[in-house]
Amino acid sequence: MQEYRVLLIESSRMMMERLSSVIRNTKDFQLVARYREPRQALGQGGVFMPNLILLDIDEPENIQFIPEFVRTFPQVSILCIASQWDSEGAGEIVRAGAKGYLVKPFSKEELGSAMDTFGKSGMGIISEVITFFSPKGKSGKTTLIANLAMALAKKSGQNVAIIDADLQFGDMAVFFNLSPQSTIVEAVRDIDFLSPITLNSYFMPITEQVRLLCGTKRPELAENVSPQSFASLISMAKSLFRYILIDVPPAFNPISIAAAEASDRVFVVTMIDSGFEIMHMQRALEIFQDGPDYHDKVKAVFTRVEPCTEEEEKRLAEALGYPVYAIIPNEYLLVSTAANNGRMAVDIKPDSGLARSVDRLAARICSSQDKVV
Amino acid sequence: MGIIIMVFSTASSVGKTLLSINMAAELAKSGHKVCVVDFDLQFGDVCNYLQLKPQKTVYDAQLAIQHDLNEYVITDYTTPYQYEDVSFSVLAAPLKLDEAYNVSAQAAAAVVSRLRSEYDYLVLDTTAAFSELNLALMDLSTIITFVGIVDFIPTIKNMKVGYDTMRGIGYDQNKIRFVLNRSKSKTNIELEDVEQLLEEPFYHVLPNDFTAAGQSIHKGVPLVLDGQNALAGGLKELVAKYTNRLQESSKGKASFSSLVKRFFK
Repeated sequence: MQEYRVLLIESSRMMMERLSSVIRNTKDFQLVARYREPRQALGQGGVFMPNLILLDIDEPENIQFIPEFVRTFPQVSILCIASQWDSEGAGEIVRAGAKGYLVKPFSKEELGSAMDTFGKSGMGIISEVITFFSPKGKSGKTTLIANLAMALAKKSGQNVAIIDADLQFGDMAVFFNLSPQSTIVEAVRDIDFLSPITLNSYFMPITEQVRLLCGTKRPELAENVSPQSFASLISMAKSLFRYILIDVPPAFNPISIAAAEASDRVFVVTMIDSGFEIMHMQRALEIFQDGPDYHDKVKAVFTRVEPCTEEEEKRLAEALGYPVYAIIPNEYLLVSTAANNGRMAVDIKPDSGLARSVDRLAARICSSQDKVV
Repeated sequence: MGIIIMVFSTASSVGKTLLSINMAAELAKSGHKVCVVDFDLQFGDVCNYLQLKPQKTVYDAQLAIQHDLNEYVITDYTTPYQYEDVSFSVLAAPLKLDEAYNVSAQAAAAVVSRLRSEYDYLVLDTTAAFSELNLALMDLSTIITFVGIVDFIPTIKNMKVGYDTMRGIGYDQNKIRFVLNRSKSKTNIELEDVEQLLEEPFYHVLPNDFTAAGQSIHKGVPLVLDGQNALAGGLKELVAKYTNRLQESSKGKASFSSLVKRFFK
């Protein structure tokens, strides 16, 4: 376990005392020096060999010192501390060279988990949000998202989140065999008081790199999720995760629209069954048609495609009148066995057609050029 | 005042539309005046399954009701379906998504109230959600046909959650009728376990017949009007129960296997 030698820069005397006591009482953290102004810290701080700098940015001009701290202390992690979370400001400080952002006053737990979260790779400024919309439901969307999250984490080596925003009948928690302590309802309720670090704890860990924000426990709780707060949640989650996959209900409603608007991509997912799916998909695509970057943003994905071949993909694209981004084969028994046991198809049978096509899709998402900054 | 049968579920693609059009056809065949209303406003399939090309839809009907309450004839907005000597009406889902998005629950309820005075039976096809619209329709309905299938654990969880929610609203047990579709399809979950979980036996069980269902949709003719098979028989029987031509049966409770139990204890 690494020990953190903390250099604290805090302009308010009261706050400095309060934070000092938290740092001193946090396991593996040692307070080695403290200053009220960044200039003093730059001049004298090196003597104490800090490896973590906490920089107060309630004084806006302090942000300008970040590059100088990076030059003076190249091996040291810089966390900015502020009274309020500000997603625009967060982007700015990360671009300037800080690792992350912590809302003060913070607790021992928050300080510890801030380093766990930001320590290795820093706070993400590149994050891609993908909403999965299906016109009629029952599209194998839950299965696809769950397996894709695993594949993306493996491929990119970075953090991936699933947000179950199918508020009334979201299946993710059951799918992963979890009984969530906190769900999207609480996260959205609390969002104005949260920072990325505290938001992170509302997500349930699935693996080391994949976390899930579960759907509501009862359908009537869906009413408590306002589209505005939901959009703030997505925007804050972007500083925690490289990829965010959002499952939305099978209809255009304020929540699915808010998710689509906050997303870099929308996957319209449909299974192939009775034959009217293509028509419904066309109707769904029409809704997005007038948006900017329509073709870049909106991607068509077909599930349960038999035979799952290139010719079939071509045929579907032709019938749809829109390019097809991915096709996923039908593996009903594999998927249902996996779903009933809270396990992933990609884990149960990594060489199955389903697992291979999900891998291909993950590779395509990872390699896409138009990254969002 | 016509009888309103709402067809509802908590999972998509469980056969609500197929059930709706067949119930309507069977009721019409027995001489009743019937209208199916497609309240899957955004992605409705009633007209697809019956191969109808509606000129007017529920969107036009609710617009008219809002603008001109007195001169309004609801049957001007329905589309007739006929196969051999059986006919019934369809009030179609809106043609455009933005129209669908703009139909309020209140306006939809007004449409249903008007239809009710013209028909013996209304069959309401819906979406799998506790939307404002569906809650308004539930209030108006005589019977809620709650359709389920037994496939994945998540589907069954949602049935349970949905049933508890409806009971929580205060509907009588008797108003909600569980209908299991596609029994004996590929699954390793026992029907009895589901009944035990729901604390309610299935009111009716429909056999699985993907081929017959597929052919019916392809042909645009409800199963009960065309030929003989087990699924058509099951659908006819359900309507017979609803119209009191058949004695209602009740089932005993069975034991609970661990597979389902795990998730709900």
